[in-house]
Amino acid sequence: MTGGRRRILVIEDDRETADHLVDALTRSGYQVDFAADGNDGLRGASSLEFAVIVVDRMLPGIDGLTIIRKLRENNIMTPALIVSALGEVDDRVRGLRAGGDDYLVKPFAFAELLARVEALARRSDTVAKDTVLRVGDLELDLVARTARRSGREIELLPREFQVLEYLVRNQGQVVPRAMLLQHVWDLHFDPTTNIIDVYLGRVRRKVDGQQAYPLIHTVRGVGYCVRAAR
Amino acid sequence: MSALLAKTLKSSTLKRALIFIAVFGAIVVVLFSFVHGSTVSYVRSRTDEMIMSEVVILKGAYARGGRDALIGVIAKRIDDEHFNDSVYLLADASFSPIAGNLATWPSGLRERNGLGDFSSEDQTRDAVNRRPMRASVDTLEDGTRLLVGKDIETLDQFVFSIRLALGLSISLLFVIAGAVSISVARRTVGRIESINAASRAIMQTGLDRRIPLRGTHDEWDELAENLNSMLGRIEALMGEVKQFSDNVAHDLRTPLARMRGRLEKAWYDRQLDDKTVISDTIADLDDVLVMFSSLLRISQIEAHDQTAAFRAIDLGEIVREVVELFDAAAEENGVSLDANGDCGVMINGDRDLLFDALSNLVDNSIKHGRKGGRVSLAVTANDGGATVCVSDDGPGIPVEERQHVFKRFYRLEQSRATSGYGLGLSLVAAVARLHGATIEMLDKCPGLEFRLCFPKVVLSETRDTAE
Repeated sequence: MTGGRRRILVIEDDRETADHLVDALTRSGYQVDFAADGNDGLRGASSLEFAVIVVDRMLPGIDGLTIIRKLRENNIMTPALIVSALGEVDDRVRGLRAGGDDYLVKPFAFAELLARVEALARRSDTVAKDTVLRVGDLELDLVARTARRSGREIELLPREFQVLEYLVRNQGQVVPRAMLLQHVWDLHFDPTTNIIDVYLGRVRRKVDGQQAYPLIHTVRGVGYCVRAAR
Repeated sequence: MSALLAKTLKSSTLKRALIFIAVFGAIVVVLFSFVHGSTVSYVRSRTDEMIMSEVVILKGAYARGGRDALIGVIAKRIDDEHFNDSVYLLADASFSPIAGNLATWPSGLRERNGLGDFSSEDQTRDAVNRRPMRASVDTLEDGTRLLVGKDIETLDQFVFSIRLALGLSISLLFVIAGAVSISVARRTVGRIESINAASRAIMQTGLDRRIPLRGTHDEWDELAENLNSMLGRIEALMGEVKQFSDNVAHDLRTPLARMRGRLEKAWYDRQLDDKTVISDTIADLDDVLVMFSSLLRISQIEAHDQTAAFRAIDLGEIVREVVELFDAAAEENGVSLDANGDCGVMINGDRDLLFDALSNLVDNSIKHGRKGGRVSLAVTANDGGATVCVSDDGPGIPVEERQHVFKRFYRLEQSRATSGYGLGLSLVAAVARLHGATIEMLDKCPGLEFRLCFPKVVLSETRDTAE
């Protein structure tokens, strides 16, 4: 994370949702601008520099997808998170095609929104080309694709390594299940089964089993967070 | 029946038939008039030619031998039976007969020379026998007048019989065509009316009625059969909708009631830990939302044509990934999970949806199969299509339940205790339908095998051209 307060634009017509969004993002250290309709939103997004734009799919004036399309036409590549009460199946595809970068279906947990906003905000930062990632006494060698904890090697399947790598890269952040599925498996749907939990259960047994302190923490109802003991 | 007749007379079939009859009738009348006119004029011109050639012969005799020679020729002609349909009359300038077989000069032929018609009065017997005649009148050089004529009664009879034949055939044509159109229209109206009556009855009383078939296997029976199967489908769907809304009500109310109860208790009982109440309630709400979004997802897959997002994908790869993802879950349940079959089995499809559908099948097999049993997946390519099998060695699904398991919220008695909403197989069915795949359930004795058969397809571009 880069220091300083980063600017977020929230375009949302429902007053209560907007208040919650602005509140939650402000508490997480962002400077939040707010627009209640499509035209204001488009004007705001075009004139100022933002780290992330959070935009509702259905808005009075111009709808969310059109805003993103117009921004991309004008070469404004600010990452956009589309928030929508419409279903996920075809709208997500259409949303992403319009140039949106991520998609979240209402209602959502704020932790999930925050995780996605932070992931998008980080994307505009330069990604460090590390070859070794560390958290606590866990060490991931990205070249040899091996994981060690207190110097002892942990046997991981390739996919398990990818899961761990994604969690460690986002250490300290909550990673929602759907984001894991999206980035590790390239699947774009919310699993209705508890399969991710079961899968993470095994990864956790391998990583945290018989260790002094746990690294992988469950965030109830949302996902996971890798964090060294405080 | 009079109502049927009234409908028949108003029917569009009859109106159209009558228009066609009128058009064809008019054409036939024009054609017949032409035939009639040209026949009559031909026969008349033949008669006129015969008269004129006779006139030439008689005038020739007059030129050679004068009036006496002419009288001689006329006398000969009258005696000759070959000429018994001919009349001759030679008269002076005041039309007094000199020779010939006509008693008086016809009053209509006095004005001018040339061809004309008259009728002779044959008074050989008691009755006056009028006969139509055609004659040529000439004035000779000495002022006498010569009339040469022919009996044209046979000609008139001929014309009459032609007219009769034409008239009769036209009338017959109209009568037959009219009768045929009325009977065809009546039949059509009758069948349509029976379908209409059935439709009205269905609208009034309910979807359980059907349109009667006549067993003729004609297009009407086919229409009735199609309408009946459509009614059957609608009836089944209505039943499903009812069952569905009952289930939604039940499955939504249960967690909602739980949440309400919990919140109410927390309101009255200040001792309770707010955090626990809130986090339990959020968890319950999340469950409801998951159910809700699964439902939406299924309806969206069913309602919209999403084949636009189809890409060429490797089924074998998806199967391997699903197996890898579920390996931990299988291990937890003591189930051995394996995948076999071909690699590079390409079909056109949506990777997310297929992954989700296969995940649901595998999840079901692990949950409802035998504890410590075995779940296997197999992919095979065949005839350009592909088959994916997911089998377990558990208790299976009773045959009579199989047609129901794809219904939303349908759950077997034996699986009531396990978690889930009974939506997984509905999603599988929706995804299969979207991909044009069929689902079969086979007995493995013991166990159950789900077999998804994907049809032969032309693969689209492998590369996803994301612009």
